[in-house]
Amino acid sequence: MENMLTQTAARPLPTGAPLTATSQPVIHLRDIEKVYQTKTIETVALNRVNLTINKGEFVSIMGPSGCGKSTLLSIIGLLDEPTSGVIELDGRPVQSYSDKELAYLRNQKIGFVFQSYHLINDLSVLDNVELPLLYRAGVGGKERRERAYAALDKVGLSARTNHFPSQLSGGQRQRVAIARALAGRPEIILADEPTGNLDSVMGEEIMDLLLGLNQQEGTTIVMVTHDEQQAHKTQRLIRFFDGSQVS
Amino acid sequence: MIRHLFTLIWNRKRSNFLLMAEILLSFFVLFVVSVLLVNNYYNYRQPMGFTSDNVWEFNINPGQDTINRKETLRRLVQELKATPGVAAVTWTSNTPFSFSNNNTDEYRYKDKGAPQTEIFDTDDDMVKVLGLNVVAGRWYDSRDDASSRHTIVVNQRFADEMFGQESAVGKVLTNDKHDEEWQIVGVVEAFRSGSDFASNDPTIFIRRALQDTARMSNTEQATLLVRVQPGSAAVLEQQLVRKIKAVTKGWDANVNTLAENRKDKLKFVMTPLIALGLVGLFLIINVALGLFGVLWYNINQRKAEIGLRRALGATGNAISRQFLGEMLVVTTLGVAGGLLLAVQFPLLGVFGLATPVYFMAMLLATVLVFTLTAICALQPSRIAAAIQPAVSLREE
Repeated sequence: MENMLTQTAARPLPTGAPLTATSQPVIHLRDIEKVYQTKTIETVALNRVNLTINKGEFVSIMGPSGCGKSTLLSIIGLLDEPTSGVIELDGRPVQSYSDKELAYLRNQKIGFVFQSYHLINDLSVLDNVELPLLYRAGVGGKERRERAYAALDKVGLSARTNHFPSQLSGGQRQRVAIARALAGRPEIILADEPTGNLDSVMGEEIMDLLLGLNQQEGTTIVMVTHDEQQAHKTQRLIRFFDGSQVS
Repeated sequence: MIRHLFTLIWNRKRSNFLLMAEILLSFFVLFVVSVLLVNNYYNYRQPMGFTSDNVWEFNINPGQDTINRKETLRRLVQELKATPGVAAVTWTSNTPFSFSNNNTDEYRYKDKGAPQTEIFDTDDDMVKVLGLNVVAGRWYDSRDDASSRHTIVVNQRFADEMFGQESAVGKVLTNDKHDEEWQIVGVVEAFRSGSDFASNDPTIFIRRALQDTARMSNTEQATLLVRVQPGSAAVLEQQLVRKIKAVTKGWDANVNTLAENRKDKLKFVMTPLIALGLVGLFLIINVALGLFGVLWYNINQRKAEIGLRRALGATGNAISRQFLGEMLVVTTLGVAGGLLLAVQFPLLGVFGLATPVYFMAMLLATVLVFTLTAICALQPSRIAAAIQPAVSLREE
């Protein structure tokens, strides 16, 4: 455990960032391995990864393409299962959870932002943002609408609620994806190269949005990025190489 | 979630329209096959109108003997009636389960023409031999000897089609030329003489007595139906054949039971029915494969969406339910269109079948289409939902 904490030691917070991070671990990975196996080839995507992310932290993960960053994010987000190792959310290992329990955790605790937005093209902006709330028991239609409007307002898209994703620019689509993550009010946002498809101005906008969320709402954010500049805006930078954590 | 389903279906109306069209066509194919199958089943469930057990059929061929043919036949009938073990004997122009028939639409009542009608020339004992169920009036008998008109009994189907709610008994039919008249004295419940799957076609029994020279030519062959006591065996059969030989002095005669004829006819009509059933099954499999292919493709196209929904908190079951729900809504719309078309069949009287047949076929086709689409949607969506969300998300 000590070794792991040394490897993932927090860097000083960027100037102006409020002290939202606590030492309370919200995500804890122990000896995580992920091996993709075909008939002829075995590819090690993650090799004995140990990582702890504390509540309120904004962590960025960097590394060359194919080093296992997105796989790690998928495993943290319970979208994929590790080949071996233990994942703990709020101190509880999730391996033994049923499909229903995992779905509940994904819905209640985690918000996802993907590089390619992953919006449903046949649904309006508002309907896309409402999606996570559809799977949440006890949230009625009216509340869903209100929360979706509020989330869209937060990302500055309240005038585009009835548009379809195909009618929006890349930056706007990513903001819709962030609004969708926000609508569920998750404790953790996992962002996989959220600015990867955007120009630098749009990228900055999205980054500011995420920083604001972390600083104002205390949302824990884990972001995979190729952009060194953006990575340095976060509280901690973790580097990966060939499936292993190198710093 | 229901509103979400409808939103999704509406926003995908273009691709759903094609799916709906596929379902509508599938429904229609299944409806037509169902009409044919249900009609046969419907007929099978209807009363035959007569009993064929313990009835023997004698086909008697006088050959070149044209002298005293009617007299010989009259004596033969009397001799047979007098034989112990024989309950009744009738002389008829045709028999149930025969491979030939005699029909006409020459009859008229006032200005109304009769439907195509099966004709049986029979004597007074037909009612006893076949156990016909007279539901109105009476069967013809010697009281009609003095009638100036032909005396007839019709089946209920004929009465319904010609007179509707009015009583058929006492009505007088005529022909196009108005040179002959037929008076109805009774109505029998049904007479499905073709086979177990035949419909109860309009039928007229015309009284014919051996002394009726107008309807009996001297060159006619004779068919006799003989009701025997239950349990009568080969001994009685030989006895009757010997009696026929003795009375007719060498006329050819062969005997069958109506039960055997019924079986033979059943085999004959079952062959096309089995072929139809196989064609129906083939069509159903084709429809299922077509739907399965379309739905499989549709669901595969939406793998990334499935991954996304799983990432946002949908369980595998919720995904399956969503796809099933979407398919059921689309199927309902397709079937509704199909039902609109199908309902034209009874309204326009296409095929001329009983109305319940069409409605049963609609029900059957609806159940089949819903079952097929449910199976075809559930399986691919289950497979897709079982894939790890991360894998589905990479499909985009």
